[in-house]
Amino acid sequence: MQYWLKRWLFTTNHKDVGLLYFFTSLYFGAVGGVLALLMRDQLSVPNNALLSAVYYNQAVTMHGLIMVFWFLSPLGIAFANYFVPLQIGAKDLAFPRLNAMSYWLYLSGGLLAVISFFVPGGSANAGWTTYQPLATSAFEPGVGPTLVYLGLVLLAASVTLGSVNILVSVAWLRAPGMTLSKLPMFTWFILFTIIAMLFAFPTLIAAFVLASADRILGTVFFSTTAIQPSILWDNLFWFFGHPEVYIVLLPSFGVIANVLPVFTGRPLAAKNAILVATALIVIPLSFGVWMHHMFLTGIPVSLQGAFSIATIGISIPFDVITLSFVESLIRGRVKFVTPMLFALGGVVLFIIGGIMGVFLSSPVLDRVLRGSYFVVSHFHYVMVGAAIFGIFAGIYYWLPRMTGRMYNEKLGKIHFVVSFIGFNVLYFPMSFLFDMPRRIFTYQNIGNWAVLNELASVGAFVFAGAQILLAANLLHTWFRGPVAPANPWSSEDLEWSSSVPHLSPAAEAEVSPPPGGWIGQLASASPVPPLSSHADVPHQGHLSTRPVELSFGAMIFLFGAAFYPAILGLVAMAAGALVVVYTLVGWARDDLAGKFVIPAEPEGDRWPFSAVPKVKLGMWVFLSSEVVLFGSFLGAYIFIRAAAPLWPTGIHDVPLGTFNTLVLVTSGFTMVMALQAIRAGNQHGLLKWMAGTFVLGAIFMGVKISEWINLGSSGFALASTAPGWSLAASAYYIVVGLHGAHVTAGLLMMAYLMKKTSSGAYTKDSHEAIENFGLYWAFVDIVWCFVFPLFYLL
Amino acid sequence: MHTGLLSALPPTTATFDFLFNWYLFFGLGAAIVVISLLAFFMVRYRSRGKSDPPLHHKTEGWKIVLVTAMISLTILSVAEYQTFASFSNIEIPNDPNAVHINVVAFQWGWNFTYPNGKYMLNNLTVPEGRTVILNITSRDVFHSFGIPFLAEKEDAIPGRVNQLWFEVPAGTQVPIDAIRCYELCGVGHAFMMANLTVVSQTTWNKCVGGG
Repeated sequence: MQYWLKRWLFTTNHKDVGLLYFFTSLYFGAVGGVLALLMRDQLSVPNNALLSAVYYNQAVTMHGLIMVFWFLSPLGIAFANYFVPLQIGAKDLAFPRLNAMSYWLYLSGGLLAVISFFVPGGSANAGWTTYQPLATSAFEPGVGPTLVYLGLVLLAASVTLGSVNILVSVAWLRAPGMTLSKLPMFTWFILFTIIAMLFAFPTLIAAFVLASADRILGTVFFSTTAIQPSILWDNLFWFFGHPEVYIVLLPSFGVIANVLPVFTGRPLAAKNAILVATALIVIPLSFGVWMHHMFLTGIPVSLQGAFSIATIGISIPFDVITLSFVESLIRGRVKFVTPMLFALGGVVLFIIGGIMGVFLSSPVLDRVLRGSYFVVSHFHYVMVGAAIFGIFAGIYYWLPRMTGRMYNEKLGKIHFVVSFIGFNVLYFPMSFLFDMPRRIFTYQNIGNWAVLNELASVGAFVFAGAQILLAANLLHTWFRGPVAPANPWSSEDLEWSSSVPHLSPAAEAEVSPPPGGWIGQLASASPVPPLSSHADVPHQGHLSTRPVELSFGAMIFLFGAAFYPAILGLVAMAAGALVVVYTLVGWARDDLAGKFVIPAEPEGDRWPFSAVPKVKLGMWVFLSSEVVLFGSFLGAYIFIRAAAPLWPTGIHDVPLGTFNTLVLVTSGFTMVMALQAIRAGNQHGLLKWMAGTFVLGAIFMGVKISEWINLGSSGFALASTAPGWSLAASAYYIVVGLHGAHVTAGLLMMAYLMKKTSSGAYTKDSHEAIENFGLYWAFVDIVWCFVFPLFYLL
Repeated sequence: MHTGLLSALPPTTATFDFLFNWYLFFGLGAAIVVISLLAFFMVRYRSRGKSDPPLHHKTEGWKIVLVTAMISLTILSVAEYQTFASFSNIEIPNDPNAVHINVVAFQWGWNFTYPNGKYMLNNLTVPEGRTVILNITSRDVFHSFGIPFLAEKEDAIPGRVNQLWFEVPAGTQVPIDAIRCYELCGVGHAFMMANLTVVSQTTWNKCVGGG
């Protein structure tokens, strides 16, 4: 295989993965941009017939989904991948293969979403908010939407893995001397972003698993009118959706906070106030304001008031951040280079968008503004203005570091000016269209609608045209740019203190690949932080085929699932499952053979996690997001139970369920015994107790399967016609099934651990994997202790 | 339709206008002040190349931030107070003389059922000068029932009845297609609108009243 192909497919190097994220998200940004231009073209004049309602609805839906999930956030993550390890003085992220896996899952999800345009019936068309029951197959039939929703589940899985990875990296891989107080601002903001991601995305997974199950398996969560499924969806979606706004915004703020001091020559004003404010935004405020998206859904007036106060409260920390940015110019020496222009432009647009947001926090004003173009104007000021301008600042700022070459400053400045003007011509007129409904594909000339829309459309094309300048500048830099000095901005951050790898194709062509391929070369070009005395070792074994295989296997499986139960779908599902199993076995064998080596990092500054091993920390972080995942499912179940007028009772075999609960709880104790055994150095004991745990787990699953067979034959099925039965069956099979999948995953892990134990891999002093699995198993037990009473006894 | 010289303002509209103008005044004010400050600092502290004065490394600055945060906290608190003072717009009045009309949204239109059991498609006829309470629901998907010129909007949700109220005084100018759907509800969303017709009490009694 060609070395470059191998490099980009199998790389686990954080810089390579960062570049993959970078270019992939720019591609998705272009797709979303074309969809936006189609819409603006359609709306440029009244009664236009360029797009039919069907196509317009697909454009409006997929524009939103692609921009939010596959462009905005991943572009921030691209920089996080590339620069967080450099900024903290680490060689790579904590789990390089998981990092590659995050990327490939992200791409796989995106491919599913894009493929949906080319299946009969086209893509999703119920809006990016996917309001139910419009997004059920009764009102949005076809395979396309299902592909998109499954793509979102893959994306959410990618985000969860990525969050765990970056969080552990920042906690555990900081170079010696890199205390939290020295942490660069970009890394701080990425840290805040991923904490929000970690707790927001599991709810998105839950929402789209339920929605997809309705479409594929025939569950009835969102088609049972009696339980007010719209309200269920709104709660799930916006509990995720509001933090998502900050997830999109914060990386950009990170860039701005990082760039400002560099180009003012003075430290950031009130840095600690910014950090405290951001911490307050992420936890708890962003998770406490979601109902302001639901002011009109008929929630009690008192609740509207409470959420209005919470929402207006969240603007205070944003005031602090913005004003600190403004204050950071005082007594500085402001240099107007392109990154600085974009950073300042982002602040200006955030001020405008943020103030519009304050209007929307009032339930009374919401009675006019909600669902109108005022909202469109507001969130584009924040999510395009503030978020994208900040990220663009990052592109120009770090381009010399990523390419080793300098961009064209004049072209960059023109890009900024045209973008800024185009942006405002595009979105400012929309704020006057507060009586025009969003998402209508055509309109009649009422009042000044025609003029304002035409203006917006002109602005859209100017703004889009400006992005051609960005593309031109990127290409120019990559191929023709003059070689950049090692630290062109005289920044004090670590990412500039290392040698600059020439990654551009032009530069590569000039040099033949070194014996170990580019990966080894890249790894050895990793920065040696001045704070660290550690000698740099190239790691040749840094390639893995598993992440891309596993992700594409999952993609093929889900692609097939969208077509279920058609034969083609079943074949694709089988093929995908085969690839996944093959990869998992291969991954385990790689590990047993010690094929993939993560080089040990020097012990750096790990406060406050110095006592927690790396993988264990990752497990804790992962399990905390799992808590939110099960919490979302159980929350949805409780909502359904409370709202359902009829609920079948006496269906479940309570004595058998109790027995099974005891089996699982006992397996928790045997797992503790296994841990005790290896802590005392008793390998035989470990194997014995682990085998006991495995048998108990297997009994649990066996009983579960027999229960399901009995339930099925007694008519407790999704298609059941008895009142309330199909809803109860939907909830039972999905939630209990999800828990069962966790138990099954645990059994597979145990099989692997037992195999490794019998080869003597674990000793008294080295048995971290057993500890980590013990955590996982305890979690699975605890979840069942909630599931059992809720489903069997209530 | 009345087109008298008297152009009365419906109470919900008046409340909204006052509140909106309040937010607009302080919102615009804040935007202008902060952006002007930013622009001023940009110019005042621009780099002059080699002739730059030496920098004073001053890391503080939280005092200014704290003071400005207190100012915005004050403004926002008053804004929130004004919103609460306008809750009459979203609280259903306890008016025994109110007219109740049931609204059922569907793909793609509105069905209005009057107290006497009569119904009309895409035409809401109400008596002037009386409190009107709408009981809004949906037959199929999520819609949103909005009357921008009355500053009222409420979601039409399957399986749920939401309420909305307004009063149109005599002499109010009513725009055509005053009622629209404000939530994407499928391919007919753009055309999902209805007329609001305001008639005198006697006319109303004659055609759909009795209540």
